[in-house]
Amino acid sequence: MTIGVTHFLVVGAVMFCCGLYTMSTKRNAIGILIGVELVLNSSALNLVAFDRYMGAGRLDGQIMALFIIVLAAAEAALAVGICINVYRNLATVDVDKATQLRG
Amino acid sequence: MALLGQTDLWAGIDVGEHLFLFSPMIVLVCTMLAVVACPIILGRGPRSIATVVWLGLGITLFMTFRVAGAVADGGVSGLSTQPGGMLIADNLSVGFQFLLLAFLAGVMLMWWMGSSATERNAPEFFILLLGSALGMVLMVSTTNLLMIVMAIELASLPSYAIVGFEKRNRVAAEASLKYMIFGAVCAAIMLYGASLLYGLVGSLDMAVIASYTIDNLSLGPNRVLLAVGLLCFLVGIAFKVSAVPFHFWCPDAFEGARIEVTTWLSVVSKGAGLLLLARLVTVFCAGGGADANPALSITFLTPLAWTIGIIAAVTCTVGNFAAYKQRSVKRMLAYSSIAHAGYMMMATAVFIHPSISGSTAGITALLTYVVIYLLMNLGAFGVTAMVVWDTGSDKIEAFTGLMRRSPWLAVPMVACLMSLVGMPPFAGFIGKWWILVALGRLQNTATSSGMFSLSTLGWLLMIVAVVNTFISLYYYLRIVVQMMFRDDGQRTVRTPIVGLAMVNGCAVALFALLIFAQPLKRTAERFTRNMYTASVEQDGKHKTLASAIQRGTP
Repeated sequence: MTIGVTHFLVVGAVMFCCGLYTMSTKRNAIGILIGVELVLNSSALNLVAFDRYMGAGRLDGQIMALFIIVLAAAEAALAVGICINVYRNLATVDVDKATQLRG
Repeated sequence: MALLGQTDLWAGIDVGEHLFLFSPMIVLVCTMLAVVACPIILGRGPRSIATVVWLGLGITLFMTFRVAGAVADGGVSGLSTQPGGMLIADNLSVGFQFLLLAFLAGVMLMWWMGSSATERNAPEFFILLLGSALGMVLMVSTTNLLMIVMAIELASLPSYAIVGFEKRNRVAAEASLKYMIFGAVCAAIMLYGASLLYGLVGSLDMAVIASYTIDNLSLGPNRVLLAVGLLCFLVGIAFKVSAVPFHFWCPDAFEGARIEVTTWLSVVSKGAGLLLLARLVTVFCAGGGADANPALSITFLTPLAWTIGIIAAVTCTVGNFAAYKQRSVKRMLAYSSIAHAGYMMMATAVFIHPSISGSTAGITALLTYVVIYLLMNLGAFGVTAMVVWDTGSDKIEAFTGLMRRSPWLAVPMVACLMSLVGMPPFAGFIGKWWILVALGRLQNTATSSGMFSLSTLGWLLMIVAVVNTFISLYYYLRIVVQMMFRDDGQRTVRTPIVGLAMVNGCAVALFALLIFAQPLKRTAERFTRNMYTASVEQDGKHKTLASAIQRGTP
């Protein structure tokens, strides 16, 4: 059996679902961000797989995958900054315990 | 993109001209750099930093005028004349730049009045503000998936930080955490959708993807791919315009942030998201829309229009009902902005109309509404800001007897609130009217039959919009009643004269726009038509490109 684009897509889809599950079940902000990373990486995997199997010399998807990596880094840096700020103020990063704003 | 395989990347492209078309963005970037350098030369004083920003905004405005002259003859020019170009400079993007700059000036004025005296981190504040402004400008100037994702992130990341800008404020910290978590989740889902859409055709340009899919609807299993990809992609845009069920961040972020930041996020962030949505739906009717291809209309365009329409109707209703029980005016205005995003999103569902004048009517209504919405929100938030600065409270009780205490605040507030309801004699009325007219046009379409037809959608959205207008009357009137008919003898609100000029200017402009509504509408019509014809003209090129990619010869 040869490995085709479908195999990569299935791996990507599984990663996406794992990420969605993590994002929806974790209460810790860092945990949610790990789920986000999973989803981001699943889309990067998809893009690179499409490039590989859609004919020679395609680079658009790979370039976009590079952008996704940079984006994930930028987002993580900012997110951790915000988490530290929240921890200083509320002494927790549990999103369920951040309840001053409601309604 | 599609530059691969070409030996000379810049063949046939006048680089200077293209850079000129995007000079307002370049000037914005340079202003950010100047703000970074400023503390070394001028010190960290908030006023000196603000002066540098004013200067940068002035140059940006000047360059935008020059670019407006260059694209004035309509249509798309710039990099997108190459099929698959990443950025577009047309009437719509330039027009949005003007709006954004005007609004940025208003927000700067509010900052100057309210925060400049106590601001310790002015350079950081302005870098974040300008960064999100740049992201919003880019959002309206592209149909390329990579560019859209980057622009949305560029607009969002600084916004998360700017919401939690006051480090010791617990509420602000919580608001920025919620905003950031929501944004990160939605952006990730959107990127997954983008990756699927890329795999469908092999191009990152949404216009190419739309042209190709419309011609090859018998994609077989790929249709699932298309549907999942589009839905996931819509999640990102829905987050930006705070459509239900991706709206939870909006009231929290708006309440926790400083009021000038709230003002900034409430209008341009949603406006940019809606105009991006307008651009994306326009590329889907480039191939002639529902009339040219009835089968396409039934299998693909009608469901898309229904999805957008239902989200819009739910957003509108949820926003209005949640605004009912709010005691904080800031939070109430946040829910009101969710409701207004719903009205504006309704207008984008009209894209599917078979005739050109029919499908452009929705986007025209959207453009005029964005302009009017900007004025009324700036006015309402401006008054609220001045009350908050003086009394320290954003509760509705702080507004008691405002008509006696400070009539120059109360009168523009009444004008803006009535305009938000959509009552004459203010421009909000005409804005809402045009949206209703555009929806009404959906009723008599050739391809309408069955329960999920276009005419049903038109009727449904019209009824929802009208009913919601009546619901919204209650909570806007509550503030008016509090200002006019109750009094607990509080003292006069101390107001800066610039602020009074700004809010009263907004009120007068709202009144004037009702009288001079026709020029506004004609301009919006011209902008929409140019965008529409340009995407129709380029449709052929996009098809050629897409089939070349499919054959494996990019």
